[in-house]
Amino acid sequence: MKKQFMLCFVLTLSFVLAACGSNTSKTSGDGDSKSSYPESNIVMVAPSGAGGGWDLTARAVSKVMSETGLVDKAITVENRAGGGGAVFMAEFATKEANNDYMLMAKSPPILVNNLKAEGNSPYGYKDTKPLAQLTRDYGAIVVKADSPYNSLTEILDAIKEDPSSITLAGGSAPGSMDHLIGILPAFKYGIDPKTVKYVSYDGGGEAVAALLGGNADMIATDASAIGEYVKSGDVKVLAVSSTERLTGVLEDVPTFQELGIDAEFTIWRGIFGPKNMSDEAYEYWTKKLAEMVETDEWKTELERNGWASEYRDAEEFTAFLEEQEKVIGDLLKALDMHK
Amino acid sequence: MSTIQYLFDGFAVALQWHNLLFAFIGVVIGTAVGVLPGIGPMSGVALLIPVTATLTSGMPTDAAAASSIILLAGVYYGAMYGGSTTSILLNTPGESSSVVTALDGYQMAQKGRAGAALSIAAIGSFVAGIIALLGLVLLAKPLSNLALEFGPAEYFSLMLLGLCAVSGLAGKSMTKALMMTVFGLMLGTIGIDAVSGIARFTYDIPVLYGGLEFLTIAVGLFALGEVFKTILERDSGDAPIAKINRILPTKQDLKDSAKPITRGSLLGFFIGVLPGAGATLASFFSYMTEKKISKNPDSFGKGNIAGVAGPESANNAASGGAMIPLLTLGIPGSGTTAILMGALIMYNVQPGPLLFDDHPEIAWGLIASMFIGNLVLLILNMPLVRVFAKIIQTPKKYLLPIIITISFFGVYAVQYTTFDLYLLLACGVLGYLLSKNDYPVAPIVLALVLGPMIENNMRRALTISNGDWSIFVTSPLSLVFLIIAAAWIIVPLILKFTGKKVIVNEEE
Repeated sequence: MKKQFMLCFVLTLSFVLAACGSNTSKTSGDGDSKSSYPESNIVMVAPSGAGGGWDLTARAVSKVMSETGLVDKAITVENRAGGGGAVFMAEFATKEANNDYMLMAKSPPILVNNLKAEGNSPYGYKDTKPLAQLTRDYGAIVVKADSPYNSLTEILDAIKEDPSSITLAGGSAPGSMDHLIGILPAFKYGIDPKTVKYVSYDGGGEAVAALLGGNADMIATDASAIGEYVKSGDVKVLAVSSTERLTGVLEDVPTFQELGIDAEFTIWRGIFGPKNMSDEAYEYWTKKLAEMVETDEWKTELERNGWASEYRDAEEFTAFLEEQEKVIGDLLKALDMHK
Repeated sequence: MSTIQYLFDGFAVALQWHNLLFAFIGVVIGTAVGVLPGIGPMSGVALLIPVTATLTSGMPTDAAAASSIILLAGVYYGAMYGGSTTSILLNTPGESSSVVTALDGYQMAQKGRAGAALSIAAIGSFVAGIIALLGLVLLAKPLSNLALEFGPAEYFSLMLLGLCAVSGLAGKSMTKALMMTVFGLMLGTIGIDAVSGIARFTYDIPVLYGGLEFLTIAVGLFALGEVFKTILERDSGDAPIAKINRILPTKQDLKDSAKPITRGSLLGFFIGVLPGAGATLASFFSYMTEKKISKNPDSFGKGNIAGVAGPESANNAASGGAMIPLLTLGIPGSGTTAILMGALIMYNVQPGPLLFDDHPEIAWGLIASMFIGNLVLLILNMPLVRVFAKIIQTPKKYLLPIIITISFFGVYAVQYTTFDLYLLLACGVLGYLLSKNDYPVAPIVLALVLGPMIENNMRRALTISNGDWSIFVTSPLSLVFLIIAAAWIIVPLILKFTGKKVIVNEEE
């Protein structure tokens, strides 16, 4: 008898604990008094582990906002990893849709995840309120320093001739960002993108390791992350996905367009609010973010992280997202990966 | 000669009073982080990044970077020391790398040898930390090149070897162990497949996209399973509590542990150097090696001190080894090193091939501080053993709710989803049912870790070779691993067949 009682007790206790978790996350938010927003602390979510682009963006914004005193309430950064951002996205679009005190930092995967057939996230940017684009980065096509290929067209010709001879690697799953950056020029060069051999690794770092170790012939990665290897002479960058030449270490690298390949890809990063954000909160954040990008502190953060500044306000950002959704959609269709 | 010169310069940085303080704070927090399940080194380091940024804000950039990385790295290897504590005392692994420590450590504690287990874990970690650091100082460059040689084919064969060695985790029946391995492999297929991007067994539920969290499963199977078992089988916990005879290990303990510690350190260090392999794998490999070469393999799982000494040394050495690809190549081998890298980048210091040239004071200051940090940890941990060991004497009616609370808190702190709490409960019930029927649970956990790695690397290798399977035998390293893997399974069978009396896990 005593046994059963104890078991019941433990199970009940466990369920109570489990239930606690689901009820705590949303209590703040429905504040209805006017113009006093924000009344409590704000949570900015990076839907990935710490250290990645979303995380660094969220932390930079939080830091600058508090250092400059633009926002007097604390902005805490939370990491909610899972499913390449899809797990938190579902929560953000549903459970947190009315929570004025929760923001999210995100980049092209918000579009890619929503469009691709596999591992699809049913929620896209339309289930949020885009507030501002803050930075941009570009994709880069990289080979090892002793690679026989010295230009993008050379390696694309090699793929055209025999797709099995060249291995492309990237730090994310097929159909996601690195893959798209890698096959975009091939696609525009007239190669059937499905024939390009793509090997995915867990993160850009492992992809670089594969390149240096000779386990990949070329990789697609973020332009900002590759500079160090260029300086050390381990790799050469064949092309970047920007429309104009980059500055710094990569200033000698041609763009896709210079090489006669009509393609571009911007890795933008921006801040999103929940779908049903109140007008008051919406205005507050669009204004504050616009002010923030003008501050010296923000410029220091940009420099420290090696980001290029590209500010778009809420309206421009939404229009840009619409346009990008089409670009990415076309590419996924060509790959047969569109949902 | 220049290496020694650099190392002395590094000590000059590390011995500045504020850096000593940072190292001290780092390892203390790290120990706490390691003790608490759920708050792993990864979240611990991530949480402290903003704190260190504030602490160091007044300093020049390079000095600030050195100081904060000293603190953050302290958290990292401090957690490796602390991770064993709850494994040994409560059968609740604090980190995934301490899962195997629970196998023998908890049994030792049950027999009143918690003190010996805890001290040997601390001593082993210290020795391993020092060996790994020596390796880091002397072998950083050649090893980083060797790590790059490891392509998908080599990883596949290495992981396959790990899976073949799973027999080392079997209890009485090899068949049951293999069944559990397959079950773990099946669980490992849930989630978005990293190679094709296709979602498998997710039923369009986003929470499954990332797969099942390893820690949730491990804590459920081990800790909650044990809680249920205690409640159901020992009748509310009036069972006699094992007396703690002595805190310090005996001479015999030290003698028995010396070789496992050395082997674990070397093994852990080399596995740590490989990006993506990590401390968890290192501790598993070490445990299985110890069991394999032991004269008395039956005593494993029943409180053999080598089963604590080996893995605990290995996971600490692995964290030292993981610094090599991070510092020399800018390639983080694990989640935690990825965050350390993020922290360095925040200070505009890019880890990578140029780090030792551009910022020698940071790289060498960090290395020197790790020597000091390891020493602090040993001094700190030995007296703490006495305190921790008392936990085991807590009456069960207080201890069980504490374990449940820690388990739920820990899992929620990692995953933030209620789904994982239900999963935790389910695994607890499963863990109880399995161990009641003599099914070993450790193979599930190992297969869950190794399964996706084996699969992804096999498919990467085959993509590279255009579907040609010979890639696994034409690479010499890969071939060696495959031969060892085959020998692991076949040799005992042959010996048995020829009628020799051998030490295998007899079918019963």
